[in-house]
Amino acid sequence: MSRWVRVALVAVVAAGLASLPACGNNNSGKIKIAVVTNCTDPFWDLCEAGAKKAAQENDVELLFRQPERMAAEVQKPVIDAWVSQGVSGIAVSVIDPKGQTEDLTLVAKKVPLVTMDNDAPDSGRICYVGVDNKEAGRAVGRLVKKILPNGGTIALFIGSTTSANGQARPAGVLEELATPEANGTRAKHPLRPELEGKYYGKYFLVDGESKTDDGLKERAVTNARDMLNRVDGVPDLCFVGLYAYNPPAILEAVRARSLVGKVKIVGFDENPETLKSITSGDIEGTVVQDPYNYGYKSVEILAAEVKGDRSKRLKGSAAYQVITKDGGPEQDINGLRIKFPKAVDYERTVRDQLKSVGK
Amino acid sequence: MMRILGVLALLTALYAGLVGTYLDNAPAHEPASKTQERIQGNLVDVANIQGRYGVIALGAALVIITGGIDLSIGAVVGCSAVLFGVLMQSGIHPFVAVPLVVLCGAVVGLGNGLLITQLKLQPFLVTLCGMFVYRGAARLLAGTVSRSQTIEMQPDFSSALQSVRYFLVGKNIKGELEFPAEFILLLVLAGVVGFFLHRTAYGRYWYAIGHNELAAKYAGVNVSRQRVAVYVICSALSALAGVLLFLDMPSIQSDSGGQYLELYAILGAVLGGCSLRGGEGTAVGMVLGAMVLPVLENLVSIRGLKSDVIPAVIGLTLLVGTIVDEFIRRRSRLNR
Repeated sequence: MSRWVRVALVAVVAAGLASLPACGNNNSGKIKIAVVTNCTDPFWDLCEAGAKKAAQENDVELLFRQPERMAAEVQKPVIDAWVSQGVSGIAVSVIDPKGQTEDLTLVAKKVPLVTMDNDAPDSGRICYVGVDNKEAGRAVGRLVKKILPNGGTIALFIGSTTSANGQARPAGVLEELATPEANGTRAKHPLRPELEGKYYGKYFLVDGESKTDDGLKERAVTNARDMLNRVDGVPDLCFVGLYAYNPPAILEAVRARSLVGKVKIVGFDENPETLKSITSGDIEGTVVQDPYNYGYKSVEILAAEVKGDRSKRLKGSAAYQVITKDGGPEQDINGLRIKFPKAVDYERTVRDQLKSVGK
Repeated sequence: MMRILGVLALLTALYAGLVGTYLDNAPAHEPASKTQERIQGNLVDVANIQGRYGVIALGAALVIITGGIDLSIGAVVGCSAVLFGVLMQSGIHPFVAVPLVVLCGAVVGLGNGLLITQLKLQPFLVTLCGMFVYRGAARLLAGTVSRSQTIEMQPDFSSALQSVRYFLVGKNIKGELEFPAEFILLLVLAGVVGFFLHRTAYGRYWYAIGHNELAAKYAGVNVSRQRVAVYVICSALSALAGVLLFLDMPSIQSDSGGQYLELYAILGAVLGGCSLRGGEGTAVGMVLGAMVLPVLENLVSIRGLKSDVIPAVIGLTLLVGTIVDEFIRRRSRLNR
């Protein structure tokens, strides 16, 4: 190929790239509020729906970004670019609280910063919007107790145990199950001595730890499947999936083994599959964080802050909700007003929220 | 033959470890038949994943035999899975959607192959860029796709989708895994690939290109056409694996579905005796190589290893396997 053809090709590509930003940048002259999540997930679509609603109500322009991977190095350039572009406020779902505090402190000095979903308390953020993951974990523990009141064998599944929520959720579950006599007591399973684990109250946690899948959905299924093979024949089983994709992954494995109903499943978050399976009775219940509210509150707080209004700042953590097939009346638990909606109703709410962002 | 001895030894050791773990751990009161049933159930589960890995390993291996590399496999798998869901949601019948997705995969391979042969670009770069492009394409197509969502939008497709799922993945209407359909599919595909590789002129062209591209060219082989052909096959197989992934998983997320699969495919091919320098490899070896990782992953989780040590154990086991393999090969060379 001749040199000129190559030069021409490069020129065409360069021209194409140069014209790209023009597509996405319509300067409306409105105040800009940015929201950066920790990864791409339907969970964040709900958050976007809430953020969009608040942006309309407060007449601000919303920049919303779901980075492709859950990694601080992917998130940081996005935050920096927007701050340098002159947004008036930014909300960030922190991935690595310790590691990111330094960078976020610099951000917080330039613009009002709200942390959501995952906090970095020492970053100088104006407030944190999110549930207390440990409290929410305790709610999961209460569901387990309700399903297996006489104790049983449990297994925990989660994406990672290094992130803040990955530590707090299992800790909350186990804290709720534990009794002063049995709080992580090492033991062998009474029926299957080859299974090592720990007792939390009347509940035997296989391997004494959460099984992790590094965010790979395929591995989440194989983890659940391998666990099913190991505990085959053990009565009073409950599998707990603590990241949004874990409950459907567990159900997939349980179905492949024809054990639906025999192995109880408790989940976390509002994956559509999870909600549907609660309605059909295949999953017992889930604890949700209401990401729509995260988006709504974050934008509302930041929009007010720009106008010098500090009254919208949240004090304390946001309330989680507990979803079961039949629902229940509201309750006050540890200072939070907790709702217990029916899965059918909550599914409809979620669907309406998703519709508003075209998903 | 020597090239597959090492991987055969590794597989034997892993399977022996797996069965041994089951027998060791079997409860005292459990009848032997029940233990056997549990072992079989587990092996069927593992075989299904081996099948899916194997399908992409076959494609990766063919590309490697001709001295190329394809890093876009995982992204093509993810993109195809999403495309499969989106096509059906937009009203295309599953029976039509499956070949259509595979065809799209072939077109992707054609693009890769033409860029590599006509513009003389490095395969590594072309397919690395492809990795980003197809991942991006998947994200543009949809966020998450799933079977249940598809059936909800197109209730008429329910039974057709179910039969596709039964024949390709082996799961019945209740989601129970009845037989390792993906592994059977792998054996069929490996038979076809093996036939072309070992029994036809195409196979000889591919080996020749891998050994010495220039010599093959002077010998009258249409090198460009053959190289394009293997990229087409590789991407088409990746697209098929995307369909399998969609049918097997509760949902596919466009940003992560199929992630890292290109590395697993290359690992399978290389463990199975393909040399990254090109010109070597057998169909049997590809299947055996692809079987290693799933059974290894299964073994470490069945043994209840701590999550934090699992990656290191997997890496070290593979390394030891490679060393043993090399050792066997050197001895066989000395004896010759």
